[in-house]
Amino acid sequence: MFLAADEDEAEIVASAADFLADAMPIQRLHAEPPRPDMDPDLRQKVAELGWFGLSAPETLGGSGLSAVEHVLFFREVGRNCGPVDMLAQSLGLLTAADDAKLAARILSGETGVALAVEQGERLRILGDPSASVALAARPDGAQLLDISGLAAETRPPLDPTTSMRLVETARATRLAGVSGGDVWRMGQLGTAAMLVGLAETALDLIVEYAKIRETFGRKIGSYQAVRHPAADMALRAEAARSQLWYAAAATKEGKADAQAHTDAAKHLANIAGVTNADWNIQLHGGIGITEEHDAHLLLKHALLLVKLFGSKRPLLASLLHARLED
Amino acid sequence: MDLTYSDEDRAFRARARAWLRDNVPAERRPVSGPAAAVFDRAWQRKLFEHGWAGVAWPKDYGGLGLSSLQQIIWFEELARAKAPHHNNTSYVALMHAGPTLIARGTEAQKAYYLPRILSGEDLWCQGFSEPNAGSDLASLKTRGVIDGDHIVVTGSKTWTTDAQYADVQELLIRTDPASERHKGLTWLICDMRTPGIDIRPIRTMLQDDHVNTVFYDEVRIPLANVVGEVGRGWSTALTTLSFERGLGFIGDQLDLYEKVGRVIELAQRVKLEDGRLAIEDDAIAQRLASLKADTMAIRAMTLAHITESDRSGEPGPKGSLMKLLVTATHKALSEVVADILGWDFLEFDGDRAAYPWTFDYLWSWVFTIAGGTSEIQREITADRLLELPRAR
Ligand SMILES: Cc1cc2nc3c(=O)[nH]c(=O)nc-3n(C[C@H](O)[C@H](O)[C@H](O)COP(=O)(O)OP(=O)(O)OC[C@H]3O[C@@H](n4cnc5c(N)ncnc54)[C@H](O)[C@@H]3O)c2cc1C
Repeated sequence: MFLAADEDEAEIVASAADFLADAMPIQRLHAEPPRPDMDPDLRQKVAELGWFGLSAPETLGGSGLSAVEHVLFFREVGRNCGPVDMLAQSLGLLTAADDAKLAARILSGETGVALAVEQGERLRILGDPSASVALAARPDGAQLLDISGLAAETRPPLDPTTSMRLVETARATRLAGVSGGDVWRMGQLGTAAMLVGLAETALDLIVEYAKIRETFGRKIGSYQAVRHPAADMALRAEAARSQLWYAAAATKEGKADAQAHTDAAKHLANIAGVTNADWNIQLHGGIGITEEHDAHLLLKHALLLVKLFGSKRPLLASLLHARLED
Repeated sequence: MDLTYSDEDRAFRARARAWLRDNVPAERRPVSGPAAAVFDRAWQRKLFEHGWAGVAWPKDYGGLGLSSLQQIIWFEELARAKAPHHNNTSYVALMHAGPTLIARGTEAQKAYYLPRILSGEDLWCQGFSEPNAGSDLASLKTRGVIDGDHIVVTGSKTWTTDAQYADVQELLIRTDPASERHKGLTWLICDMRTPGIDIRPIRTMLQDDHVNTVFYDEVRIPLANVVGEVGRGWSTALTTLSFERGLGFIGDQLDLYEKVGRVIELAQRVKLEDGRLAIEDDAIAQRLASLKADTMAIRAMTLAHITESDRSGEPGPKGSLMKLLVTATHKALSEVVADILGWDFLEFDGDRAAYPWTFDYLWSWVFTIAGGTSEIQREITADRLLELPRAR
């Protein structure tokens, strides 16, 4: 029993943090024009370092690591407000398990994978417009759909990290797929990890600011009306992170209650992400609502991540009666 | 990261579970009063005699010398077996007086007191707070004057839980009259039978008398009972508080995990005023599921905390986060129960066994005030974990 990153795991965190700070810093979203999604160049870079295959089996060309490394990596992605197509690409590889050629193209970054969310007759496609494949995942299975050349209606995204467009479901043809809940679970863990990283970043930003901003001749960090919400932010992040570690380790070890722990982790991460992002804006005062600040980026990204792989209602419904092991 | 328990851990859990199944007393613990203390001593004595007392305490002093993880496993099994609640009259002795002596006591103090704690012979109470020193503990005034090989104590303490049943007290006093705040304090082992001690119970909103004001009129305590050094009691007190806030709530943490399950069962049985089962009410079901997630996180945080403190060798500042989450979850759970039980929730005569849920609800303020209020836990988090500029 060891519920923290061990030495090898800490090394993965450090190299992920280095790589992402360089390749995909949050400042990219303030650039003119802003750089949403994972464009083909970035996709290539990520692929070269093997990040897409981190948790994929070696037979697919992956590193054969587990859900634990997966959450450690995506927590770092979340700290930088990383786009959701990074997760789609990783999950796409797992979904292409029976199609070696497709798997190889995804692993190398040659084929881009976006995320598809079913909305009645249409699919909302999240990710880079160059992606020719979309991943549609459900709790009981996942498929890769060919969306190349489909007529798409571009929609303006609230969250500038991720482009959105609508296509007709009937026109997307199935390329590959897997049954069972593994891909969905990794999607839940990945989005929960991104939300945890985001909740931690929100806390870091306000703590940093509260140490320098002065009003009435005092640092705002000495006011309890700032200190106490900040302490609550720390608690939300700590609770969500601890549960995420537990869920990832339970998944790695194939525990019977891993799904329940993952549902709890996603639920707690949803709350931590949105609520911490909200408080971070408020406690910054006016500067917190400006375009040039990161605070709004965290909030908008959190709102998107909360919608993916289990939002409040279904998560709570499945948690209520879930049985837990020792 | 791994969740795998070693063979020894699993064998320990299996043994604990089997033993508890056969040995948890059939009769209920008396709610309060002297009979409750008699019951608690007997239970602790039984644990001691069967080799279950002081799981992580050193073997030299009667403990089992096992790991902190096995200590957690033991508390989990106690909660699962619905064994007598650990938050009873032996709480102070087991959860922070004993650990303080292990960390800071002299050889003679450890050899004498620790086995007596484990066997249930000595119950302890905590004499830190005063009428004018609660959150601001360092403003305490009860004074001690050194006279030969004794310290003579005069003053008063309040909110002293179970003082009337305790044999021994953790007593924090000011021995240097010229000193202020954290300086000039001394941490003493006080025998509650020493002449000059007068205990007056305080009636609470739970209709019990479990807290007291204690008056000291020239109470003579041997200098050999100083834990740490004379004039440096604050440092010993911080050790005590680090245990109280570190793992002091562990029993409640794990108990809560079981308790949410019991409330879900309750909601499956009880009908609301509109005739529907409580569990069929969306709002109630959602709150329960959300609280279940919170208790899962509490358990994960407990394991993460143990991993971190085993690695660094100290409890660290995260105990305050734990206390905040545990006490808030306890309160929120009580509030859902109130909505489930309707009028039944408004019946209460002080009997915890007969009205467990209403009792629990009233107890939720004990949780958020005793051991440092929630506001103070946020202050500690802001100071020590976030390192924000001080408010005070
Ligand atoms: C049931 C119960 C059992 C107890 N058992 C014991 C015991 O066995 N031994 C013992 O020594 N003590 C015990 N206590 C005392 C307990 O530790 C104190 O009550 C607690 O620390 C608060 O102190 P106070 O009551 O003086 O409240 P105060 O310190 O007067 O606080 C009043 C209010 O002001 C808030 N406040 C105070 N300072 C600050 C600040 N700096 N920032 C923000 N808010 C602040 C508090 O949170 C609280 O809401 C017990 C208390 C209770 C209720």
